[in-house]
Amino acid sequence: MLSPKRTKYRKAHKGRIHGLSTSGTTLNFGQFGLNALQPERITARQIEAARRAITRHMKRQGRLWIRIFPDVPVSVKAAETRMGSGKGSPEFWVARVHPGRIIFEIDGVSDTIAHEAFALAAAKLPINVKVVARQGEGA
Amino acid sequence: MANAIKLAATARDRAGKGVARETRRQGRIPCVIYGAGQAPVMISVDAAAVARDVHASNFVTKTYDIDVGGVSHHVLPRDVQFHPVSDRAIHIDFLRIDAASLINVSVPFEFKNAETSPGLKRGGALNIVHHEIEVRCRPDQIPAHITIDLAGLEINASVHLSGVSFPEGVVPHVSEKDFTIATIATPSALRGKEDGEGDGAASPAEAAKA
Repeated sequence: MLSPKRTKYRKAHKGRIHGLSTSGTTLNFGQFGLNALQPERITARQIEAARRAITRHMKRQGRLWIRIFPDVPVSVKAAETRMGSGKGSPEFWVARVHPGRIIFEIDGVSDTIAHEAFALAAAKLPINVKVVARQGEGA
Repeated sequence: MANAIKLAATARDRAGKGVARETRRQGRIPCVIYGAGQAPVMISVDAAAVARDVHASNFVTKTYDIDVGGVSHHVLPRDVQFHPVSDRAIHIDFLRIDAASLINVSVPFEFKNAETSPGLKRGGALNIVHHEIEVRCRPDQIPAHITIDLAGLEINASVHLSGVSFPEGVVPHVSEKDFTIATIATPSALRGKEDGEGDGAASPAEAAKA
């Protein structure tokens, strides 16, 4: 699973996800992309599950790019603990995703396979997404 | 290059996000025309008139004759801003051009003969490193695309800038010397045979651990 190699601080504020994505909104690598439509924290496990679903459906053809990285630690207090006594221990990593962010990009597969693979990946993610494709030449 | 496309536009008298949003609510796209040493002109165009064109990869290579209140501007689309979620165009920049001047423009690559490439037939993946290239040419010489021939390319073969032929009057305008445009990458199925369970496109963290 994705996680930072080292961090400056062990724990982070919860934060809020406001507004639309200002970067990573266009296809930069592949022919097809999966575009987030809602704001949400996506965990490293969800990213990994979606990645596996995509690569397995692509039958190891083509290429996959992951455009988000879970760099926010989420802490959880132990069960049955009274409130107070400080912040809990870091349990997992999340990526804060704004609407409009391209989460995955793939290339080297047909339109049908790309859509099917992204449908499988979408089922592993906590948000609504849509598939975007690089457009060809106009008339 | 085909003749300029005619486009009707109306002038906008006020700038700002409030006015721009009102323009968009009316089904129009706020635009600006600038360049050629003249004052910029704020205009709006009918969204339906350019809806299909703006998403085409070669939109910025087509010249337009924009009629603003009886005055015609010969322009080239310079930049398009899209809404990150709905993907509709929210603003377009047009650059005034005259036939004699040289301009820089990004032209997309077109890859052909993929079916006659032995590398792709064997399951290799076409890894496009650069989707477009900036070229310098006269406005009437802007090519719709630069063609890359993939015929005869094996796995691990690559296409470099030096192997590409440009139309007459068109020269590449790049700082990188002889960059790679595309490669025929080894398919994950062949590359990962010895990996066992590894799922092909490994995540960066896993690759770092290895």
